[in-house]
Amino acid sequence: MSLPFWSQAGEIARADLRSESRTGEVMAVTIPFGAVALLLIPFGIGTDAPLLRQIGVGIYWAVVLLFGMLVALRRSAAEGPAQRDLLGLLGVDPAARFAGRALSTGVLVLAFEVVLGPIAIALYDARITGWAWLILVVPMVAAGLALLSTLIGSIVGGSGAAPALVPFLVAPLAIPMLLAATQSLEGLRLGESILAWLLLLAAMDLVLAIAGVLTARPLQEVR
Amino acid sequence: MTRRRIIEIAAIAGLGGALITALVVPPERTQGDLARLLFVHVPSIWIAYLAFSVTLVTSALYLWKREMRWDRLAAASAEVGVFFTGATILIGMIWGKPTWGVWWTWDARLVLTAVLFFVYLGYLALRRSIIDPVARAHRSALFGVLAIIQIPIVHFSVVWWRTLHQQASILRPGPLQMDPPFRSAFLASVVAFTFVYVALVMRRMQLGRLEDEIEVRLASSHQEVAGAAVAPPRIEGAVDSV
Repeated sequence: MSLPFWSQAGEIARADLRSESRTGEVMAVTIPFGAVALLLIPFGIGTDAPLLRQIGVGIYWAVVLLFGMLVALRRSAAEGPAQRDLLGLLGVDPAARFAGRALSTGVLVLAFEVVLGPIAIALYDARITGWAWLILVVPMVAAGLALLSTLIGSIVGGSGAAPALVPFLVAPLAIPMLLAATQSLEGLRLGESILAWLLLLAAMDLVLAIAGVLTARPLQEVR
Repeated sequence: MTRRRIIEIAAIAGLGGALITALVVPPERTQGDLARLLFVHVPSIWIAYLAFSVTLVTSALYLWKREMRWDRLAAASAEVGVFFTGATILIGMIWGKPTWGVWWTWDARLVLTAVLFFVYLGYLALRRSIIDPVARAHRSALFGVLAIIQIPIVHFSVVWWRTLHQQASILRPGPLQMDPPFRSAFLASVVAFTFVYVALVMRRMQLGRLEDEIEVRLASSHQEVAGAAVAPPRIEGAVDSV
């Protein structure tokens, strides 16, 4: 008897995270690379403290968006034809596989955001208000980015061009998320309601989750 | 005369007619002759919307019917759509410099049109990256369906956000805000551009069919593999084992 959907997804996510903990690609490479990017950008635009304080939050989210895609493209999540066939023969639901992969990527993107957040605040002296709302905004962005990257990654498949193609396809489609994330923090700073931006994030997450589940089975049919 | 040839002639004649109509129209009250650029700019983006909508419908039809002709039509339409979106941006920039004083401004409509351009450029890049025709058709059809979400966002961006770009003049509720000579010129441009779109898509589909035929022919022909011409050295007096 096969496992229920969520148990299958949980097992896939656990296996992915275990594989990541062995390779340490995100923790040892992607997160430090993101920190280097945060350090590097002010050299390009000028190390002017008031300017950096003003645009620091935007830079942080842009780095999260661009480097979050690298998290989804990590080698430990790469799935070869043999692994795909094995999971298929084991009766693993393709939609559960999508959910599991998106879940593990979401956890890692969230870790990326959480580690880089204090670094950005320290480097740019960014003033953050409404901390309680961040508990909603940060995971919603992580979920959206993980779902979008996993969905596009499965559409592109194991093509040799995937490392370049996935970021190219994800970046324009992720603009509403970047907009919602930056505007939420800006709204909190100005004491305005951020409900509309939260709704946009939630709607994107929901649409991407549905699209991922619906396309999982048709995508399994093709190599 | 084939149907394609008739449409191509209609496209050329339509473009000629649209050009004459656009030149005959008197200069616009505030923008002068610069307003004539809009007879190319506006129909271009309409054709881009049409092209991407055709890509959506034919991608969905491919997923349903699994017939390669729908995939070819989706790809051809997306290619033409990318061309017209690029043309819209370029002409908009040429119009924007003397009107707004800048080539580019961070306006919602402009940014989202650029995003639309890159999304469908990505669609074409995705197609090029997959060699197997069935996998290519299947994967790009899924992306073609997903990508359409951009179009309503681009079109209604001028309504949802406060932007520098002017509001819609034609596709809006209420009476048409355009003088009759301008309206005729717009109509002529739209008709001509539609024929150009159909002609280009038909040409591209024919090219796609030929490409597929070449692929099939190459796959079915028994060509010698690389290195087949290299024979092992023959030793005098030795006999073949078989």
